[in-house]
Amino acid sequence: MTPRLALAGVTFTHPGADRAALRGVSLELTAGEIAMVAGAAGAGASTLLLVATGLAPRLVGGTLAGSRTIGARRCGIVFARPWTQLTGLCSTVEDEVAFGPASLGRPLAEVRAAASHAIRQLGIAHLAGRDPAHLSGGELQRVVVAAILALGPELLALDDPAAELDPAAADALYALVPSLAADGMTILIATPDVERAARVATRALVLEQGTVVADGRPADVLPVTEVGSLARAAGCPPPYPLDVPALLARIAPDAGGRAHDSSDAPPAGSGPDTGAIAR
Amino acid sequence: MIGYVAGRSPLHRAHPYTTLTLAGAVLFAAFAMTEPATVWLLVLAGAALAATGGVLRPSARTALAVSLPIWALLFVLYGLMGADPRVAVGPLSLSAPGIARALVLGGRVTAIVLGFLTALATTSPHRLVEAMTARGVPFGRTFLLASTLTVLPRMQERAARILEAQQCRGLRLGGSVPARLRALGPLALPLIFGALAEVDEQVLALDVRGAATGGRRTPLDPPPDTRPQQALRWGLLLLVAAAYAWKFWRMRA
Repeated sequence: MTPRLALAGVTFTHPGADRAALRGVSLELTAGEIAMVAGAAGAGASTLLLVATGLAPRLVGGTLAGSRTIGARRCGIVFARPWTQLTGLCSTVEDEVAFGPASLGRPLAEVRAAASHAIRQLGIAHLAGRDPAHLSGGELQRVVVAAILALGPELLALDDPAAELDPAAADALYALVPSLAADGMTILIATPDVERAARVATRALVLEQGTVVADGRPADVLPVTEVGSLARAAGCPPPYPLDVPALLARIAPDAGGRAHDSSDAPPAGSGPDTGAIAR
Repeated sequence: MIGYVAGRSPLHRAHPYTTLTLAGAVLFAAFAMTEPATVWLLVLAGAALAATGGVLRPSARTALAVSLPIWALLFVLYGLMGADPRVAVGPLSLSAPGIARALVLGGRVTAIVLGFLTALATTSPHRLVEAMTARGVPFGRTFLLASTLTVLPRMQERAARILEAQQCRGLRLGGSVPARLRALGPLALPLIFGALAEVDEQVLALDVRGAATGGRRTPLDPPPDTRPQQALRWGLLLLVAAAYAWKFWRMRA
């Protein structure tokens, strides 16, 4: 099967930056795969999405070294801030969602069908006639996701897509991801919301200073203490969604007690748990 | 008020090319007029246009806010320092030809601003995009024009948000002139840098959504363009051309 994305030893430096945002990243994604990218702020997760979708360096600028093959016929990306992703030229949500297919010059009936399908997928039919300028951040983000889905991308990059969503809407968005993947879409998610992303991802990459330090199943590679502390901060009572104690018992038996104590939990990818998360 | 105001007036329902042609006609006609009376007739026409669009009050207010400083400058330049003969107005001795010149120039500015604001307030950017798309205008040009129409209201909105945020952080806007000037930095810099950052992201978002493909877009809901409106636009063009012909004929005569 032709990979939707193949990166081999990719190094990317933003324009004017003195150090690379990505260093020697190698990655292959196939149809139906859901890969999450975890890492501290500045680790390079958002940059990886820009490179994966072909926007960097084409529009972003900078320099790319290594080999990149984008096999997907169409790539879509959703950023965290929905208001910057609106065209500002459409007076209804329906037209905003239809903007992409219309830009591709598809026949009107096809454009309308793609827009209504995407609107139904996101559960925003009740907003279809509303002016996007008068929607809340959460509603807007769902409109933006629908607008991207209407294009029928084969590779969808989600850059912290739930940043503007309330918990229920974030859950609904992540719940949609497996069904998109089941239709053959390849999905790449960069988010600090590790807990939600890990529920749907089939693969997780952990980035540190632009380098992939772990790559595998989410339960195998994610920093378990981070999942535990995030779940606790979100008010989730144990057992945590990923069953952290069981996970710890399996992969790091001597760290089991620490997962429940956020006070000495090391940051992601550092300290005694690092060995547990490495592939 | 600078920007589109939703409404159902005849101007709102008109084809976007018609409202833009009306504003363009006011602009070009203003430079064809050389007499104070005709220029101020044009100002009245601009006001009538704004009234037809239901936006007279906000348009006139903004037009006056823009024009008044220019009138004051023109009054000083031409009225006080203009050529003879002079007329006495109270304690002042004013230049009669200078006052006439100031009335022409000031009237032009007012008429143009009024026409432009009316077109801005009654032309939906969405309908304009659809109209241009239906005519096969490349998206780059369409976006450029539509963005120009929406940039001022967006900047106003952003400036208001930044102002609130900076005041919450203790920024004081009152006080002496140097203090007010110092307050400009915390307002202007986030406004400019924030706008640039958002433009960067919007370029990426538009590219992903096929805006840069260069092919012909599919119009979703193009506004109807009737024969009377087309006739009106051609009529306005001919009228403006006639006004210039009259002006140049008089200059030669």
